[in-house]
Amino acid sequence: MIRLQNIQRRYVSDEVETTALHDIDLHVAEGEFLAIMGPSGCGKSTLLNTLGTVDRPTGGRYLFGDRDLAALDEKALAKFRGQTLGFVFQSFNLIDELTIEENVALGLAYRADAGNRRARVAAAMDKVGIAHRAHHFPHQLSGGQQQRAAIARAIVGDPKLILADEPTGNLDTANGEQVMNILSGLNAEGATIVMVTHSPSHADMAKRRIDMLDGRIVASAMRDI
Amino acid sequence: MNRSALLSLYRSLTRHRLYAALNIGGLAVGIAVFLVLGLYVRFETSYEKWLPDHDKLYVVEEYWNQPGSPANGYSTGTMGGLIDELREDFPGIVGTRMQVMDANVIRPGSATSEAFGYADPDFLDVVPLPMARGDGRRALRDPSAVLVDETTAGKYYSGVDPIGRTITLAVMGKAANYRIAGVFRDLPKATVQRFSIIARMPSPHPDAMWRHWGSERVMTWLRFDTPADAARLAGQLRGFVDRRGAKDLGDVTKQLSLPVTPVTDLHLQTPGRKLTMTTLGLVGLLTLLIAIVNYVNLATARAGLRAREVAMRKVLGADRGALVRQFLGEAVLTVALAALIGLILAELGLPLVNSAGGLSLVMPYGLVVPALIGLTLIVALIAGLYPAVLLSRFPAAAVLASARSPGGGRAGTRVREALVVFQFALAIAFTVGTTVLVAQTQHVRSTDLGFRRDGLVIVGSTADSALDKAQVASFLQEVRRLPGVRMVTTSDSTPGYSTGNSANVEVPGRSDSGPSLQWITVGPDFFPTFGFRLLAGRLPDAAHRLDDMRNAPKDSDPVNILVNRRAAGLLGFATPMAAVGRTVGNGAPRTIIGVVDDARFFSPRDPVNGTVYYYASGQAQFPRTTLRVEGDPRRMVEQLRAIWRRVAPQVPFSAKTATQDLQDYYKADERAARLFGIGAGLAVLIGCVGLWGLASFNTARRVKEVGIRKTLGASSADIVKLLVGQFLRPVLIANLLAWPLAFVAMRAWLAGFDDRIALSPLYFVGASLLALAIAVLTVLGQSLRASRAAPAWALRHD
Repeated sequence: MIRLQNIQRRYVSDEVETTALHDIDLHVAEGEFLAIMGPSGCGKSTLLNTLGTVDRPTGGRYLFGDRDLAALDEKALAKFRGQTLGFVFQSFNLIDELTIEENVALGLAYRADAGNRRARVAAAMDKVGIAHRAHHFPHQLSGGQQQRAAIARAIVGDPKLILADEPTGNLDTANGEQVMNILSGLNAEGATIVMVTHSPSHADMAKRRIDMLDGRIVASAMRDI
Repeated sequence: MNRSALLSLYRSLTRHRLYAALNIGGLAVGIAVFLVLGLYVRFETSYEKWLPDHDKLYVVEEYWNQPGSPANGYSTGTMGGLIDELREDFPGIVGTRMQVMDANVIRPGSATSEAFGYADPDFLDVVPLPMARGDGRRALRDPSAVLVDETTAGKYYSGVDPIGRTITLAVMGKAANYRIAGVFRDLPKATVQRFSIIARMPSPHPDAMWRHWGSERVMTWLRFDTPADAARLAGQLRGFVDRRGAKDLGDVTKQLSLPVTPVTDLHLQTPGRKLTMTTLGLVGLLTLLIAIVNYVNLATARAGLRAREVAMRKVLGADRGALVRQFLGEAVLTVALAALIGLILAELGLPLVNSAGGLSLVMPYGLVVPALIGLTLIVALIAGLYPAVLLSRFPAAAVLASARSPGGGRAGTRVREALVVFQFALAIAFTVGTTVLVAQTQHVRSTDLGFRRDGLVIVGSTADSALDKAQVASFLQEVRRLPGVRMVTTSDSTPGYSTGNSANVEVPGRSDSGPSLQWITVGPDFFPTFGFRLLAGRLPDAAHRLDDMRNAPKDSDPVNILVNRRAAGLLGFATPMAAVGRTVGNGAPRTIIGVVDDARFFSPRDPVNGTVYYYASGQAQFPRTTLRVEGDPRRMVEQLRAIWRRVAPQVPFSAKTATQDLQDYYKADERAARLFGIGAGLAVLIGCVGLWGLASFNTARRVKEVGIRKTLGASSADIVKLLVGQFLRPVLIANLLAWPLAFVAMRAWLAGFDDRIALSPLYFVGASLLALAIAVLTVLGQSLRASRAAPAWALRHD
């Protein structure tokens, strides 16, 4: 489904040039659950952002199916994200001024085919067990509940790919487990997931794991099933 | 405030220069507008307050209330002998009078017109004009002495002592020599009745109408120790008028009253002036308010961003009191800086405002500096208290633990939105006001006056009583020969100048005394020269004997007249045609031979008077000459002046175009419109600056949200729509407040004009569209920038 070829990402600020990604080659198959691990600053999040098209590579090719995403302009990329991707962040990134229901509905706000909105939002909230908090504001919820709301937002549009950036990083063990169980469940239902994590046990719940160091993929391993 | 608090303020100002500039600059401009318009209001309310004992001085006015009469309203002129009759009926009353007119100062080969006052010998006892030289009181007891003001003394006796010098004055056509016995201080600008030379009034006065009720010859002054004394006399004047006036006025006495007005109230009695002053004062006040709102808005918005600093200070031991003191201290310092800049701006802007408003305002520092200190404390308290209390209340632990800064939450956002609504409502109302003011002042300049105002030159000096008939005839003869002069006529009233003659005209079959109509005596070619429109009947000519009032020497002799449309209506005729051929005036039969359209010779504020035109074949009694000319009328005036110098060098020459003569009626409103425009424009600008600051603050706060939305697939256009839309809502709500406000205000202002524009909805829609456009442009730049930010960067931003 996804093919990255020689992907590079360089940041230039003032007189310092930093290379966050060195010639990354990566293939993600449909239905896969991929975990990316590595120490802080190794380029995990940059890779994830590149996959999510919220960061543009400075070199290489990014093929999604048979589409070359490098050829798309900003508007087309925005449409692509809205139609194809779901995001889960470490810090949840819910909008403080919107209720949980409104936050989840935001996942449909920028899609042309967003019919039956209320039912889809309700179903997504139901799936992650947050429906009873629909009319609360983010700050009224615990971290685990907020992250479940963020997952509901990510899946409400039925995305082809879910990108999760340390989804359990801000959660305690119990809430972390709960979130990982939801992600595993989604994968079992057919969702493709790429997740960045620091937690070996959570990485073990993925089907494949790659390790990064200094902007390069240094190891790749399939989970023993 | 301790050192670290000062340092924190300094850093906050210098690190966020743009915010500081907007915050302080906006407030400074608001303060400057408030100061300048405050000075204007102070000037307008300062009339006659320079006079010693001004609070004891009153003027007896005439107030006419005759249905449809041209003379209705207040007049500071009373009959000459009023004070004598008052003394007879109310012994012990203290009063005096002055008759002001133009007099000519005659010097070898030239004559100059000066404002001259004939005063009672006790004038300076009652009205103590400040003297520069000499004993004024003694001088006024000497019929051969005059007092001059400093400017006149300098003009005619530059570099020499004027005291004891002889000056030749032609007063009411009679020339005589006077000795200058004293110099009084120049009357300040804030003076209603202006004069530069005073002489003792002749006694008995030669005017036949001196004790004729209803005439207006002098200003009658009274002096009372307390307002209660003045009120007591005022209460007795109704009976006095009824008792004394009937001999001259008959039934009409009831329509005259004699109000006793404090001399300091005279200036603002002129129609429209008080409203103009109040409006401009309000503009100043509201502009300051907009600026304060801005300041509070930006200050509270910015304050939220300093929550972490506050939390740290709390952790380090600062109590709430200390924090409140810190924030109030900061507000005082910042507002003081704004006040200082505002003062500088006001001082720099004064020359501009003076020229736009025809004023000569100066900054009275002794008054302004303490006022500014007071203002600084008040504004600082308003602006500083809310953030001070809000911020000092933040729970330190929660702020330090949270990734986001508290900014007052939804309530804070709502307060800020309400303030934006308030600002824009005023800005829109001001814009409507300015547009209507400008449209009205343009309208009166270009409207159809009922005669063609372009190409008319009016020579007022042919009416000078010092001129003899041969001089007038010879001047007119030469003028007619000038190339470019198409037509010449004479009349006793011209645009901007009225004899004030009016009389009741009885209508056969009606029991009342008939409508009060203005009458104007006109010479040959009057109607075609002015370009009047004849609605019905015919114009007067030499072929009809009764057309010429010279053939009707007695008042009771029948004579033909023309009337204007309004007079025809007042006389009870349904159409102009119906009036033609009808005879009005019982004892003095007047047959209407023609009806002309209403011609507005006077203020656009007053209704066109019902007017009777008498035709006289020769020269009228005091003929003002009007020429219809081709080419540049100003050049024509120079040619006329050259002829005048040959024909009548001893009489001052004065000629103006009709447009110049009418200018006096428009000047005050045009000045007010300009001042309003400047004030309103700056208020709108401050509003925009505030909106810009708030928009940039809000956009900055929403960077993370922009990132989330973009990640979820929002395009740049979606983001711009979202951010711009957020500000359009308050601007749209502002219209709901602004429209009724502007409608009521502008309807009240326009009601002061008889000739006025319609209050079209276009002014309102236009102002709203303008406000919307300004709001969109103000917010668009930042929204575009925010929308273009890479989402990954936006998500890292907090």
